[in-house]
Amino acid sequence: MNAKRNMAKGPEPREGETKQMEGMDLASVIECARGHDGEALGEIYRRYVRRVFGLCRYMLNSRESAEDTTSEVFLKLQRSIDSYDRSIPFPRWLLRVAGNQCIDALRRRQRGRRAIVEVEDGAAVTEVPSSETSPLGAVISKEERAEVRDAIARLPENYRVALVLRYYSELSYDEIAQQLDLERNYVAALIFRAKKELRRRLPHRSK
Amino acid sequence: MECYSEQTCALAVDGELAADEAQRLRDHLTTCHRCRALVDALRAENRALSDSLNELPEEAASPASSSPQRWSWGWSDLAILAAAMLLGSIISGWFNELDIPAALEWFNPFSVSGRTNLTFQLFYYFAHGGTAMLADYAAVVGWICLLLLLGGSALLLGRRGRPHYPGLRLLIVLLALSLPSFALERRHGEFVTVTANETVDDTLVAAANMVRVDGVVNGDLLTFGRTVEVRGTVKGDLISFAQRTEVSGTVEGHIYTFARTLDLEGQLGHSIYGAVQSLHIDDRGRVGDGIVVAVGEATLEGDVKRSVNIVTGGSVDVSGTIGRDLTMIGRSLVLTNTARIGGNLSARVRQLKEVQIADGATIGGKRDIQVRVRESSFTRPRFYFHQAVWFAGAILVGWLGMLLFPGFFQATTQLVSSGWRSLGLGVGVLAGVPVAMVVIAITLVGFPLSLMVLALYLAAIYLAKIWVGAFLGRTLLKPSGATKSDWLLGLLVGLLILTLLGFIPYLGGLVRLGVVCLGLGAFAGQLYRASRPVMTA
Repeated sequence: MNAKRNMAKGPEPREGETKQMEGMDLASVIECARGHDGEALGEIYRRYVRRVFGLCRYMLNSRESAEDTTSEVFLKLQRSIDSYDRSIPFPRWLLRVAGNQCIDALRRRQRGRRAIVEVEDGAAVTEVPSSETSPLGAVISKEERAEVRDAIARLPENYRVALVLRYYSELSYDEIAQQLDLERNYVAALIFRAKKELRRRLPHRSK
Repeated sequence: MECYSEQTCALAVDGELAADEAQRLRDHLTTCHRCRALVDALRAENRALSDSLNELPEEAASPASSSPQRWSWGWSDLAILAAAMLLGSIISGWFNELDIPAALEWFNPFSVSGRTNLTFQLFYYFAHGGTAMLADYAAVVGWICLLLLLGGSALLLGRRGRPHYPGLRLLIVLLALSLPSFALERRHGEFVTVTANETVDDTLVAAANMVRVDGVVNGDLLTFGRTVEVRGTVKGDLISFAQRTEVSGTVEGHIYTFARTLDLEGQLGHSIYGAVQSLHIDDRGRVGDGIVVAVGEATLEGDVKRSVNIVTGGSVDVSGTIGRDLTMIGRSLVLTNTARIGGNLSARVRQLKEVQIADGATIGGKRDIQVRVRESSFTRPRFYFHQAVWFAGAILVGWLGMLLFPGFFQATTQLVSSGWRSLGLGVGVLAGVPVAMVVIAITLVGFPLSLMVLALYLAAIYLAKIWVGAFLGRTLLKPSGATKSDWLLGLLVGLLILTLLGFIPYLGGLVRLGVVCLGLGAFAGQLYRASRPVMTA
């Protein structure tokens, strides 16, 4: 029953064929998927849907939008997988694609107001003065991690997006800058400020 | 050498510093403890962020694990449904065999007479002014729906996203359901009086320290107050939540009352239902139908045309006339010389000497006086049957809740884990909500709202054990997944444990109270969370 539900939206492989694909290494699966092999695409979906959905969920802060965007990512994958050139690992590439899709969704959501790409003031490019907040301590328990996630979810959108792209998708500043259509310096400032804000909101977690 | 700024260190930790500068920083770190500590802390922070984000919250584990639309029927669901139907048929059969007092028969939905009665009552109600109220109600609801629709579409067009605030939905439902109040006449203040020459054509809702009706109310009279006096005429029902309710005039319908005292010195067209501390039917009082009440003490000096059913902790004194049967469960029964009972007398008392029947009293039918020996409920099979029905009911409700609001139920269950916070919040809610309800009801603008809150409050108190049970079960079983069947299994185990714990003398009561508080707290917390869009909601 669960399996049925999990596959509700993606390309649905048949039972026996999934088993065959399961053992295959990623490179061959991708190769098959490039040849528009439905089962290979299904296998990619099975392997990465969780990760992609997680990204969408963090970026969009809404379960429904995340579900929609996740399906869009995998639907478009049939075409976009041709553009994957193996210069970076596939999961990273997929998350970059998914990130782009999320940013599109965010922009559609807030047409006109370019909040994702704005850092509050011009001072962003230059040095941000250090404040008295200190970095968050190590998180050990499940509850603490949930607390951190909760706080990230409640950050302003531009901060949230930057943090998620950096620490969930593990993109470099340059890649984030490219995705958000920003300068690299802005991205650095955005991430720095996002962390400060996070520390401010989790005072008992700061050391 | 001067130390590096935090931002530069952060860049270095993120691996984003230019190679030469990174080298300079590394050299500096070998000599500067302060900067090294900072870099270490920043590194730990990055790890904390990555770890936290990479551990997906349970509800985000898969894109469609708890979405209501994607629930598909499995064998287990069908089995549960079949079990529920079987249970339903057993209960309805059992209900039919029960010895239901005649006065309550109209209320029994399983009997033919009950159903027809209910239908006729409804027809009667709609024929007598109910339609007008319904029409008004429909009109207002229609308008509100239209406005909501327009507002909603504007919102959707503006955002192209689906607003996902359960709190908002709840508010809309509350708003929609609180509308019938527009068709009522409402009065509030220190004194509310319907003077002798005044006629109120609508149903009157009155909240005041003192409510007095000397004139005529053509609809129902719904009152909250310290004292309610009806000296005139109420053509509909009298529904009274008052410290003292006194009827010396005429009430043509029924009296539903939750009052400390109810004195009837006038005429009542139909029956009295309710729970009162002290019920007094004066020798001038006439009840056109029967009486079904739970009371502290009852004195019946007047004339009751049909049966009287009383559950009491104290005594029942009868010196008037009862047209049909008198059924009582309580401490003592006194029938004086002037007492007349047309039908059977059946009494359940603790001791035989507590029943005093004067020689002059007449009883038309049989006398059935039983002494109740208080025996342990554990020895009676009926007790186990009740517990089983109760248990199955709770499981069924839990399953239905999970089916209809999977996300909410799972999240609330999860929230029980916050322990003391939930418990504290629950105690506050348990004590605070009734106060809030009274305050809202007194201002009367929100009277229907207050009834809604009451319904929600009672429902939440019932559901509390389900959430706590599910949480307890899940904690004990530690299922690998977070599917509905896991949740349900957890509920089964947890609820069983809670039920058993509840039977322990003294401690059981505390456990139950704790469970209610915990569950209420989790519910309130989840309502609050759900009212704003949060990732882990």
